[in-house]
Amino acid sequence: MSQPVLQIKDLKTQFFTDDGVVQAVDGVSFDLNPGETLGIVGESGCGKSVTALSILRLVQEPGRIVAGQILFKGDDIVKMSDDEVREIRGKDIAMIFQDPLSSLNPVLTVGFQIEEAIEAHGKAPGKTALSRAVALLKQVRIPAAESRVHDYPHQFSGGMRQRAMIAMGLANSPSILIADEPTTALDVTVQAQILELLRDLNRDLKTAIILITHNMGVVASLCTRVLVMYAGRVVEQGPVEQIFKDPQHPYTWSLLQSIPRLDSDRHDRLLSIEGFPPDLIRPPRGCRFNPRCQFKIDRCLHDDPALMNVGPDQDAACWVTMRRALASNGERRG
Amino acid sequence: MATAPGIAEKYIEETLAHEQTSLWGDAWRRLRRNRLALVSSVFLMLLIVVAIVAQFWTPYSYYAQGLGPIYQGPTAQHWLGLDQSGRDILSRIMLGAQISLKVGIGTQLVVIVVGVVVGLVAGFYRGFVDTVSSTTINIFYGIPDLLVALTLVLLLGRSLGIIIFAIAFTQWMTMARLVRGQTLALREREFVEAARSGGAKASKIIFRHILPNALGPLIVQATIGVPMAILFEAFLSFLGLGVPPPTPSWGAMAADGFHAIRIAPHIVLAPAIALSLTLMAFNFLGDGLRDALDPRQKR
Amino acid sequence: MFTRGALLYIGQRLVLIVFTAVAVSSVVFLGVHRLPGDALLNERRPDPAAEAALLHYYHLDLPLPEQYVRYVSGLLHGDLGESYVNRGVQITPLLLREARVSAEVGTAAIVFTIGLGVLLGVIAAVRQNTWVDYLATTTSIIGYSMPNFVIASLLFLLFGVALYSWTGGALYYNSGWTGNYGTLDQILVPGFALGFPYASIVARLTRASMLEVIRQDYVRTARAKGLTNRVVIVRHALRNALIPVVTILGPLVIGIVTGSVVIENIFGIPGLGKEFANSILNRDYNIVIGLFTFYAIIIALANLLVDLLYTVIDPRIRY
Repeated sequence: MSQPVLQIKDLKTQFFTDDGVVQAVDGVSFDLNPGETLGIVGESGCGKSVTALSILRLVQEPGRIVAGQILFKGDDIVKMSDDEVREIRGKDIAMIFQDPLSSLNPVLTVGFQIEEAIEAHGKAPGKTALSRAVALLKQVRIPAAESRVHDYPHQFSGGMRQRAMIAMGLANSPSILIADEPTTALDVTVQAQILELLRDLNRDLKTAIILITHNMGVVASLCTRVLVMYAGRVVEQGPVEQIFKDPQHPYTWSLLQSIPRLDSDRHDRLLSIEGFPPDLIRPPRGCRFNPRCQFKIDRCLHDDPALMNVGPDQDAACWVTMRRALASNGERRG
Repeated sequence: MATAPGIAEKYIEETLAHEQTSLWGDAWRRLRRNRLALVSSVFLMLLIVVAIVAQFWTPYSYYAQGLGPIYQGPTAQHWLGLDQSGRDILSRIMLGAQISLKVGIGTQLVVIVVGVVVGLVAGFYRGFVDTVSSTTINIFYGIPDLLVALTLVLLLGRSLGIIIFAIAFTQWMTMARLVRGQTLALREREFVEAARSGGAKASKIIFRHILPNALGPLIVQATIGVPMAILFEAFLSFLGLGVPPPTPSWGAMAADGFHAIRIAPHIVLAPAIALSLTLMAFNFLGDGLRDALDPRQKR
Repeated sequence: MFTRGALLYIGQRLVLIVFTAVAVSSVVFLGVHRLPGDALLNERRPDPAAEAALLHYYHLDLPLPEQYVRYVSGLLHGDLGESYVNRGVQITPLLLREARVSAEVGTAAIVFTIGLGVLLGVIAAVRQNTWVDYLATTTSIIGYSMPNFVIASLLFLLFGVALYSWTGGALYYNSGWTGNYGTLDQILVPGFALGFPYASIVARLTRASMLEVIRQDYVRTARAKGLTNRVVIVRHALRNALIPVVTILGPLVIGIVTGSVVIENIFGIPGLGKEFANSILNRDYNIVIGLFTFYAIIIALANLLVDLLYTVIDPRIRY
C-alpha cells in the first residue's frame, strides 16, 4: 500500500460574515490514495464544496482556512506561499466545476482556454499547445476536435462543455482531479456518459478523482470510497459497497432510504429527511444531526460524537449506529 | 364589505401599503448613515438660506460698480474681492445662488409634472399618447440636450422662465420614459385583480398606487436632474445665453473673469468653486438616495 | 466579422441614418422658421429693396413648403446651403473642415475618458472597500460634479500660472489654433478638460461591472488553472467587464459633443462646437440647421460603430 497522495488533517474553514462566523468545514480529515476514486456526498451547505475549494486554497473573502493541514505528497498546502499554490493548481491538482456554461469564459475559445492551462505551467509553448489541446478534446470524446477547438463555449452543448472542462482539467496530467458536482447541471442520459468518461479516464490515466455530489446514485456508479458529510463534518466514511449495504450513521441511512428503488414494495413511502439544514453559525448542541434524527438517545443531545470505527475500514460518528437502532426498533429496511 | 371586489381591493391596498412602508423605513435608515449625503444636505440647506437671505440683504449692492480698484483680490471689506467692473463678488455669488437653485428646482418641478403625466397616460392607456411621446423621445434621443436648449433660448429669448422651459424640455423625456416603464410593469401586476373588482374603481386604485410605487426612482431621477439643470444653466450663461445682466449667474461670472484668470484668478474661482460644491452636494445626495432606495441592499 | 448578415445590418443602419438626418433637419428647419422671432428679418433693417434682394437670394420669399423641399433635396445631395451671415460661405465644406478639428480634440477626450476611467475603475474594484476604493469613488463623483469650464480654468491656472516657469509655457498657449491640425500639446489640455467629467462615469461603471464579473464562475476556473492574478484580472475579468462599458460609448459621444461647445470656445479651437456657439449668437440659422444635421449624423455613426464593436468584443453577438 503506497503513501496517500493527499492527506487532509482536521481541516477547518470559516466564513467571517456580518451575521457571525460560519463554520463551513469543521474538522474534516481523510486520505486519498493514488488512483483512487473518492466520493464526498451530502446536502447543500454541508461543506463539501468548501472542502474541495480549500484543497486548492480557492476560498475567497470572507472565508479563510483557519486550522488543519492539507498534505500533498508530504507538503502542506495550507502553509505554502501563493506562488507555490499556483504551481500546483491545474498541474498536480486540477478542479472542474458544476455548471460548464458559467465556468467557461464566454469570450475566449475553448481551445484557447485549454492552451492557457497548458502554457500556465510552461509545458508546451505555441503550436504544440494547440495540438495538445486537440488531443485532449479527442481523449474526452468530442467529435471533430480539430475544428471545435476554435469554437466558443456557447457553441457547445451542455455535455460537450463538461467534457471540454474535463479536458482542461487533465491538460497537465494531474495526480488528482477534483470534480465539484460535474453532472448536476446535465440531463440524465448525458450524466451517465460523463460518469463513464471519468471512469475510463481514471482507469487509463490513473488520476485520482474526488467527486463531490449530493446524489448517492452518482457515487455508486463511479467511486470506490465515499465520505458522507453533514454540517461541516464527516459523519461516515468507508468503501462504497459496504456503506450502501450497511450504513451506520442515521443520516447516511436516510439518504439511502430516499432513493426510489425498483425492487421495493409499491406501497413504500418516499422518505425524505425531515427538518431543516443546520445553522452553521450556532450549531446544535451535542450531535449536530440530532434535531432530525429519529434514532437519537439522550446522549446525542449533550455529547458530540467523533468518528469511530464501526466496521472493517468503515467509520461513523454516532453513539447509536444503525446496527443497534434497527435491532432495538425492529424497523423494516428498504 | 365581504364582496369579492371589496376583498380584492383590500388585498391590493394592504400588499402595496406594506411594501411601501418597509421600503421607506429602510431607505430612511440607510440614508441617515451615509455621512457624505448628510453633509451634503446640510450644505444645501445652508445654500438655500443664503439664497433667501440674498433676496433681502447682501453685503453690497450686486450691481454697484467701482466699489474699489477693479480686479482687487479678497480683502477684509470684500471677502471675495472685486470683479473686472469693481463689483463685490460675494454679493453676486449670493444672488447667483438664487438663480442656480431656481433653475435647478424649477426645471425639476416642470419635468416631474410633465414627465409623470405623460408617462402615466402613455404607460396606462397606451394608444395615441404613447405613440406620440415614444416617437418624440426616440427622435430627440440622439440629439445633444444642450444644443436643443441653446437653440430654444436663442429663439425664444433670454429670461429665467424660458431658460427653465428650455432645460426642462430636454429632461422631461427621460422622466416620462421612466414613469411609463414603471406604469407598464405595475399595470401588469395588479391589473388582473383590479379589473375583476370593477372598471372605474380599478383605475382609481391604480392611480393611487402606481404613483407612490414609482416615487422611488422618480425621486432619484429628479435628484440627478437638479445638478444637470444647474450645469446646463451654467453652460448657457457661460456662453452668453443665460439670464441677462446685471443679474448675476455663476456661469456668467466665470465667463466674465476668464480673460483675467492669470492676474485675478479669484473672479473665476469664486463662482467655479460655488458651482462645483453645489453640484457635488446634489450628486452625493442623489447617490445616497439611490443607494438607500436600492432594493438589492442587504440591510 | 464581415459576414453577409453583418453587411446587411450595416446597410440597414446607414439607410436609417439618412432618414434620421432628414428628420432632424426637418424638425430644426421648421422650428427655426416657425417659432416667434423669424430673426433673419428682425436683425438687419436695410432699405426695402436690399432687403427684398436678400430674401430672394436665400429663397426666403418662397412659400414655406417650397423652401422645405428645396432644402431637403439639397440635403440629400450633401449641400447644406449657404451662411446667412457671411454670404458666399458654403456650409458643407465649412462644417467638414471644422469636424476634422473637433474630431481631433474629441478623440483625445475619448482616449482620456476610457483610459483613465477604466484604469480607475479596475483599481477601485480590485481593491474594493479599501481606502483606494473610497478615494477613487469619491474622486469620480467630484469629477463629474465639476463643469468642464471649471476644470479648464483649473488647468489654465495650473499650467499657465503655477507651473508656467517650470514647464516653460508648455501646455499653455494664448493664441489659437494655426492651420488645420493641432499639435499634441494643443490637444492635450482641452481633450483632458473635455473628457475628465465622463472619465468619472466610466470609472464607476467599470468598477461596478468588474465587481460583478470577479464573482463569476469562470474567474474561479481561471484561478483554479493556476493563472497569475494579473492574467486572471486582465484577460478573464476585464474583457468581460468591458462589455457593459461599451454601452456607454454612445452617450459618451453625445456628452463630448455637448461639452465641446464650451471647451472649444474657451480654447479658441475652430471646431464644430465653436461654430455652434457663434452661429447661435449671430443667428446664422442655416448653419445652425446644418450643425444639428451634422451632429445627428455623427452621433448615429458613432452608435453604429459601437454596435459593431460589440461583435468584436463579445463573440456571442452576431448580426
